[in-house]
Amino acid sequence: MGVRDDQKAATRERVLEAARDLFNEVGYDETTIRAIAERAGVSVGSVFTTFASKAEVLSHVMNHRLAELYAELDRVAPLLRGGTADKLCSIFAIHYEFETRRVKLFLAHIAASYNPNNDPGVTPYGRNPRLSQMLLDVLEEGVRKGEVRGDLDLRLIIDTLKASYAWNYRMAAAAGGNMPAAEMSAVMDKQIAVIAEGWKPR
Amino acid sequence: MSFVSVNIESATDSPVKLTRRALAKQRTRERVLAAARSLFSERGYEGATIRDIAQVAGMSTGAVFASFADKSELFEEILTADYEVIYAQMIQASRNAKTVDEALLGLFGVAYGFHVEQLPLLRASIAVSWTRSEAAERRARGDIKHLFHLIADALQRAIDQGQLKKDIDVKLLAEMSWDVYVANYRRAVYDGWSVEALLARLSDQLKVIFAGARA
Repeated sequence: MGVRDDQKAATRERVLEAARDLFNEVGYDETTIRAIAERAGVSVGSVFTTFASKAEVLSHVMNHRLAELYAELDRVAPLLRGGTADKLCSIFAIHYEFETRRVKLFLAHIAASYNPNNDPGVTPYGRNPRLSQMLLDVLEEGVRKGEVRGDLDLRLIIDTLKASYAWNYRMAAAAGGNMPAAEMSAVMDKQIAVIAEGWKPR
Repeated sequence: MSFVSVNIESATDSPVKLTRRALAKQRTRERVLAAARSLFSERGYEGATIRDIAQVAGMSTGAVFASFADKSELFEEILTADYEVIYAQMIQASRNAKTVDEALLGLFGVAYGFHVEQLPLLRASIAVSWTRSEAAERRARGDIKHLFHLIADALQRAIDQGQLKKDIDVKLLAEMSWDVYVANYRRAVYDGWSVEALLARLSDQLKVIFAGARA
């Protein structure tokens, strides 16, 4: 990489960091590209040469955060204990814990993904293949161990779990962002128990 | 059985004679609402300003503010009007059903049918629901509460009729049914799913949720 590319990468990094903090502190709608440029110490023009719109900045901020989340999941994955349901509870608890650190940012991300005028450069919320794969691994192991019936559509179970996982963030939205991760996890635990009741071999 | 009773008949009071002034005011309101509906659909909630709405309605921003306190009130009025249209149909669909699955698919099917027809407005309303003020959140909860009662009533009837176990957590199962129902709109938004496709998926998801609850 040349000096120019180095500089470009550094600018990008600074812009994403500034945007992440402003979206979380001030709110997404309230944050302007100008404010992001100011906090990052770069010109408004240089933000626009890297990103087409504010929505695209948000999308990149969220992709950027995944590296951190995945590192955490990799660290914890081998340590998961208990039965199939327990492991699922742990995986979702890690997600709630992670996302509530910057919950307003996360809520803005969900909101923005429903915005009718999204640009093509925006990745929709909820496309997290890594989470789905982890859940699938746990459920398949459950089938092998005889805890989960073998004739079920595991991807459908994952789809159903993820719906509850996602919409539990409504608790945080309704509380203006003041919702401890533990409270959301507690609700999720109950929801997992409901579904687990249905996958038991009979 | 506790159904939420709503009076869907029009009021039987003697008709109020509208003065010319009141009629003009009402027409202004309707013009603003129509303009706002089309702009929110086109640009989303944030993308449509009161100024734009006034322009499309062919009036001054002052005239808009004479009818509505702010943009969020205007938006809520549109959503509430839509909600009232489908709520009565949802009650009907739920009451006519024989099984719990039929009841839930019936009432959610009414909503899918209505919202998929005007997906851009639904997208704007979901987007807003994640970041609105606490006051707006409280107001919006009133509408959702009725829907939850409707779902819970369907579950309670299924318990009474011996379709579901007596010891299930009705509130929790109602919430989970709601979660999959709303989450599926993503398929309509991003993958262009039809109402039939949404209902087929919902039916499978409800089977996953209720598998352990059947009597």
